Amino acid sequence: MEPMVIEVRGVLQKRKHFQLGPIDLQIPQGYVTAIVGPNGSGKSSLFRLMLDLAKPDAGEIELFGERVGSGDDTMMKQRIGYVPEQAIDVEDSLRADQKAAFISQWYPSWDLNRYQELLRRFEVDTSLKLGRMSKGMRRKFDLAIAMAHNPDLLLLDEPSSGLDPIAWKTMIDAIHRYMERGDRTVLMASHIIDEVKRLADYIVFIVHGRVLGMYEKDALLESWYSFYIDTGEGAVNWKAMPGYRSAEPNGGSMYKVITSEALEAERWCTASGVHITGKQKLELDDILTALIEQERLRIRS
Amino acid sequence: MWIPIQINEQSAEPLYHQIEVQLRALIVSGQLAEGTLLPSIRELAQSVKCSVITIRRVYQDLENEGLLRTRQGTGTFVAKVGDAMRDLHRRSAVIEALESAVDAGLRVQCSDDEMMEILRDVLQRKRAASSNPGGGA
Repeated sequence: MEPMVIEVRGVLQKRKHFQLGPIDLQIPQGYVTAIVGPNGSGKSSLFRLMLDLAKPDAGEIELFGERVGSGDDTMMKQRIGYVPEQAIDVEDSLRADQKAAFISQWYPSWDLNRYQELLRRFEVDTSLKLGRMSKGMRRKFDLAIAMAHNPDLLLLDEPSSGLDPIAWKTMIDAIHRYMERGDRTVLMASHIIDEVKRLADYIVFIVHGRVLGMYEKDALLESWYSFYIDTGEGAVNWKAMPGYRSAEPNGGSMYKVITSEALEAERWCTASGVHITGKQKLELDDILTALIEQERLRIRS
Repeated sequence: MWIPIQINEQSAEPLYHQIEVQLRALIVSGQLAEGTLLPSIRELAQSVKCSVITIRRVYQDLENEGLLRTRQGTGTFVAKVGDAMRDLHRRSAVIEALESAVDAGLRVQCSDDEMMEILRDVLQRKRAASSNPGGGA
């Protein structure tokens, strides 16, 4: 296994109306990992904890093998690029180049050519004040700023919010190019399914402040299926099916059954004489919905 | 470099298997010549919209079979495919395709004779079409 860039161990953050964690998570070097979850599930809070912008009530986080919040983290932070969920509004009156000049002081590896190339590719008008930029342009500018010092780790919180489809493609492409070297790491929060499908190597599901699992993307999408099954006269004990998640009547003696272990489930059907009349892969959002539903049942019980 | 790999999203075949079969065929058939530099893992993953984990697995499998070799720092290249190996792979791809055709036949209860007849028909049609490319199909 690859070295881990981020290690989260037993991190817990308690708020009046919300508890994040306890979370355990390891983010491997050289991959794009997407954190997927509904709004308010704790994705942004987790980013803030990783950057020491908030303190956990318990547990610890390591970045590049160094414990977050344990002293001078200047060197560590120089290796990170971060795009927060929301643009920082106190900077609204700055012009793009003023902000770049300010930010660049903190990064010895700031690459002016790279910065300008990114702005060109993203078509950002640097003569504008940040507050005058459209939401999409501001986003692209923030991304350029986060990437201009060639960080080893990019933390992107909903990077594409506000982007039009063309700008979105440019962003996806920029991230692919950034990853090309093979030793860099991206951790991004997203609920844009297509974005996750195109970019992610690993997917982490977070719901209600809890990590429901981390999966290899392709393997995940290949293992969740809905089967259409004709039960005929008899009843089938669905719960015995490998990976069984849910079963609902689908007209007559037909059932729609969801499994997260398609291969094994299919073998089980053949062995137990259950006839599959049709099958369909689940999309990422359907998988998320199924997991949320399950989490809801777990909390209730 | 663009590599003509087509993913069938509806297929039950695992993604890595689909990619591996197609890439192997491209190499064995000589469409990708010896010494060709393949796209980086990230690049190919981007173009077929899968994860680098899947592509790495495909490259590793084909490297183990001797069809690819990786030079540290330069990339992954198509290796020299010996005649014996080419023949082996050439046949195994056909066998695999025929096996799934036979499966399709068995599913609808074709008899052996029926299947042989279909194979002969298809062969005849394809041969005729390829010797007369202007003639449609």
